[in-house]
Amino acid sequence: MKPFEYIAVHTIAEACDALAAHGAETRLLAGGTDLLIELRRGSKKAPRVVLDISGVAEMAGIAESGAHITLGPLTTHAELARSELLREFAPLLGEAAAAIGSPQIRARGTVGGNIMNAAACADTVPPLIALGATVALQSKAGCRELALADLFVKPYQTRANADELLTAVRFPKPGPGARSAFIKLGRRNALAISRLSVAAMLELGKDGRITEARIVPGAAFPTWQRVTEAERLLLGEMPGEPLFASAGRKVSEEMIKATGRRWSTEYKEPGYLRHHQWPAAHAHSPRQHEPARPPAGPPGPLGHQVRL
Amino acid sequence: MNLLDLLRDRLGLSGTKCGCEIGECGACTVLLDGEPVNSCLVLAPQIAGRQVLTVEGLAPEGGLHPLQESFLDHDAAHCGFCTPGMLLSAKALLDWNPRPTEGEIRRAISGNLCRCTGYQQIVAAIEKASAS
Ligand SMILES: Cc1cc2nc3c(=O)[nH]c(=O)nc-3n(C[C@H](O)[C@H](O)[C@H](O)COP(=O)(O)OP(=O)(O)OC[C@H]3O[C@@H](n4cnc5c(N)ncnc54)[C@H](O)[C@@H]3O)c2cc1C
Ligand code: FES
Ligand code: FES
Repeated sequence: MKPFEYIAVHTIAEACDALAAHGAETRLLAGGTDLLIELRRGSKKAPRVVLDISGVAEMAGIAESGAHITLGPLTTHAELARSELLREFAPLLGEAAAAIGSPQIRARGTVGGNIMNAAACADTVPPLIALGATVALQSKAGCRELALADLFVKPYQTRANADELLTAVRFPKPGPGARSAFIKLGRRNALAISRLSVAAMLELGKDGRITEARIVPGAAFPTWQRVTEAERLLLGEMPGEPLFASAGRKVSEEMIKATGRRWSTEYKEPGYLRHHQWPAAHAHSPRQHEPARPPAGPPGPLGHQVRL
Repeated sequence: MNLLDLLRDRLGLSGTKCGCEIGECGACTVLLDGEPVNSCLVLAPQIAGRQVLTVEGLAPEGGLHPLQESFLDHDAAHCGFCTPGMLLSAKALLDWNPRPTEGEIRRAISGNLCRCTGYQQIVAAIEKASAS
């Protein structure tokens, strides 16, 4: 590890001041599960300052306010996975978090770090995009809010400026007719970085027909994007197996169009076909979340992971 | 400096093992305020004001922790390199879930690699310790 100056801050205002002073030479430290590996690797762009934001209390926790759910960026994957609120309103996000890394990684890794690191395999991003999430970026100059889907330029690069801090992730509570699913294909059951995942949200009308569909694959396209061609197939239809299979085929086709055939295509393609056969995407009710537990540390179930 | 180096090199607590240093093997697992973490991925100053439990603090003075007894009984430590981390992951599990299922035990140690045992004895040892 190359030497650096370590600064710990405890409020958003302090963090913004520090970023205004030396943003360009600074790296933010939340859970450290990505950053410490980078620091150890000692890349050429080693930061002069590591700004520890892990003690900023106003950036932690999950809150419900009116029609929205707000996640503090310091919320850990373990907290996402065991949240009652997410179990009710966004089970696909809890499941995605429960499938990340290992208990140790889930205890430290945060949703803010997962988003801002912007790896193509970041597991919380597809569900959050499917949920229609926005992110708040704060600097000394002010705060701006943008759609999460618009935050990314390419893998490992976001549109956030060097003096900006991610302070909140927000999404509207899905209505009572919502159905969702998150599916991850890893190479083995633990510590499997996503080779392939897909998050899907459906809204059903009173007559049971699909009125809205959002399908976001992870680790499949150069950046995250909704697969509108596949979504369109679902609109106005009754949910069911053959329909999901054809939507799955569409996702595969679009993936191949966007990336060309690669060595991994052979298994990614059937992956989508198979995974769109899930049971009408489960309703918003408890499934494979981590169990509720007392405050100290939880290892929890790994969510839906499918072994290859 | 990371917490792992602080423990081993500065404090002389060599029970915590250094394997991959990239969060994958779990040999460096310690409990931070009761939660299992990879000490190789915690920057040392981040523990200010928090409680760290290493394998050295597991057993009462002059004795063994019930999990350690059970690991011995089940031949669950072969080379022993993974054992401190396994014990701490198992302790974290039993602290919040005293009667785990086999599946819950396997998930709880899914971030701890063992190249020797094939895990069977480890799972059995944790199961037995939870029952006693
Ligand atoms: C063994 C292992 C397994 C893993 N498995 C998975 C997996 O299955 N799925 C997955 O998605 N990821 C996985 N990861 C990656 C990692 O754990 C996650 O991306 C995690 O969410 C990162 O969060 P963090 O808080 O640890 O980030 P940090 O390392 O603290 O930060 C990561 C980056 O984000 C920036 N950052 C952090 N917070 C903010 C903020 N509030 N505002 C602006 N910038 C910020 C930092 O400057 C840094 O560049 C794994 C990592 C390891 C080591
Ligand atoms: S040494 Fe920390 S996980 Fe391997
Ligand atoms: S006993 Fe040798 S690694 Fe587990």
